[in-house]
Amino acid sequence: MHGVQRVRQSAEAVAAKKLREQSKIREYLALTDEVLAKKAAEDWSREALGLTTRLLQINPEFYTVWNYRRNILLRGVFPESSPAEINDFLTDDLSMTTLALKMHPKVYWIWSHRRWCLENVPDGPGTDAEGDINGWRKINWERELFVVDKMLNADSRNFHAWSYRRYVLARMPDARSETAELAYTTRKIEANFSNFSAWHQRSKLLTSLWGSGKLEYSKSKEEEFELVRNAMYTDPNDQSAWIYHRWLMGAGADKEVLEREIAVIQELLDEQSDSKWCMESLVHYKRLLLQKHSSMIDVGKVTNDCRRLLRELRGIDPARQRRYEDIGACSIADHTMF
Amino acid sequence: MSTELLTALHVSYIQNLGNSTDDLMYHLTAHLRLNAIYWGLTALCIMGHPDALDKEDVIRFVESCWDEKAGGFGAHPAHDAHIHPTLSAIQILITYDALDRLDVPRVVKFILSLQQPSGVFAGDSFGEIDTRFSYIAVNALSLLGCLDQLDKDKTVEYIKQCRNFDGGFGSTIGAESHAGQVTVCVAALAILDRLDEVDTETLAWWLAERQLPNGGLNGRPEKLEDVCYSYWVLSALSILDKVAWIDSEKLTSFILSAQDTEKGGIADRPGDMVDVFHTQFGIAGLSILGYPGLVELDPVYCMPAPIIEAKGLRKGRFRTTCND
Repeated sequence: MHGVQRVRQSAEAVAAKKLREQSKIREYLALTDEVLAKKAAEDWSREALGLTTRLLQINPEFYTVWNYRRNILLRGVFPESSPAEINDFLTDDLSMTTLALKMHPKVYWIWSHRRWCLENVPDGPGTDAEGDINGWRKINWERELFVVDKMLNADSRNFHAWSYRRYVLARMPDARSETAELAYTTRKIEANFSNFSAWHQRSKLLTSLWGSGKLEYSKSKEEEFELVRNAMYTDPNDQSAWIYHRWLMGAGADKEVLEREIAVIQELLDEQSDSKWCMESLVHYKRLLLQKHSSMIDVGKVTNDCRRLLRELRGIDPARQRRYEDIGACSIADHTMF
Repeated sequence: MSTELLTALHVSYIQNLGNSTDDLMYHLTAHLRLNAIYWGLTALCIMGHPDALDKEDVIRFVESCWDEKAGGFGAHPAHDAHIHPTLSAIQILITYDALDRLDVPRVVKFILSLQQPSGVFAGDSFGEIDTRFSYIAVNALSLLGCLDQLDKDKTVEYIKQCRNFDGGFGSTIGAESHAGQVTVCVAALAILDRLDEVDTETLAWWLAERQLPNGGLNGRPEKLEDVCYSYWVLSALSILDKVAWIDSEKLTSFILSAQDTEKGGIADRPGDMVDVFHTQFGIAGLSILGYPGLVELDPVYCMPAPIIEAKGLRKGRFRTTCND
């Protein structure tokens, strides 16, 4: 149970509520018994299908009933239906679960049932020779992207919705370009810099786009630095941008970039002298300098910088002071110490 | 608000859960019943009251959840077999030293049948995949002493591909790191002796940053705190031997502040409705933090450590010190 406030009620109020619930409980249990009895009897009728609809509307987490519903469709309903009718059934189920998701956006079973629906859309309305054999599939999968957009508008961090989005993008018949999806993450991030789910999605897209050469690596990477810098400057206490920045920096192979970004962060720290994330990131990137480029830098100075920053971090972020001590206690450049 | 663990209240809260049949919510959560019994029983064991439930009643209930067709356990009588309640059944039977009541070869066959060509596990025959299910399979097979029947390399291969640049793990390939998924992946790797696949420094950094100024832990960057992450984050930190990287005292106070001081139980946050899930994971977190008087919890299996010890399955505590 998440986020439901505890309300102190009098004994009378509790008793009255329980009394009111009695008829609901009786009704629910009777329906449950009826459905489970039909399931045990392998009843694949449309009447049984209707009962599962009713039960799932009351309790969308009843996974056994979702399973039963799919078996009714597969074993009873589809064998006696035309492809167009099968498509209609699946479209109805998708609509029914859209409503359910609005009420229960984090119920695994609902998301899972949608995948099953999509994967069972039949060929049609045309044939290979005539018309579009993928017509129904295209309509259904396109609509899914629209539904998932709505879900992410309602809660931009819903990880069920993000996972589902990746699933739809990977499998839809008319593939959407990765650059279009990149633009989507830009919109999400610009609406809220704190949306780490969108930053994460971006890191996956860019890895692919850079790998395939569809985006020019060095130019695109510079644009990313620009974007994330905006976020860092907008709210230096927000973790999302700093974590993404760490991804952009990677293992620190490029000394010039490391030094440039260290300078950028130092500048921000000069403005915000108690910024934990500035200090934390400076320690991390300076340690990368020590690990990767020790022959080309003033090791003594950079090591001292790290020690000074770690001391300050212990003061301003006491909850994690042991981590700062552990980094300081081991050789600062040693990456394999843990 | 209490600054102490209200053990007696929590014990009676858990004991009375089965008597709430006049509450609609009790019936609407039947699909989690076996899991709930595992949570309640484990919390009782950690609080030192392993006999607070009627053992024979519980075992008979577990047996009544057996799905003969599938060869696994549903969460409730007449519910379909699924890998999650199947693990709960095994955990309950092992806690009660009653594994002789289980058809081990059939359960093992059911679990192994759910592994997909990619190496990940499905939850049931309808094929929803998730690294949670990989952990459940690894955990269950290990508890049953049948890990040798698992294709370990394939299992690890999939988990590896779920690792992100922040050191964390997601539910499937490409998914965002999430503390719950981190724990299941790290614990699965611990059981398989493959913690070499974890980037400990990066992951422990990410986990330590889950602690918020009020002491509570969140599950992802820039999200709200929740008592259940006291377990999800802490167990991973514990396996990596990095619990000291967060403030134990503040977290202890946060968990204790989410107790219902009148009726027992622990909620997700102070002032919210309690449930057995958050009660168990709050108490599990306190045990990992070394709260006085609690039985030690094994962070890999999320069961009482003495039981895991007796089976010779203790993992983790991978203590490496710096070399200089």
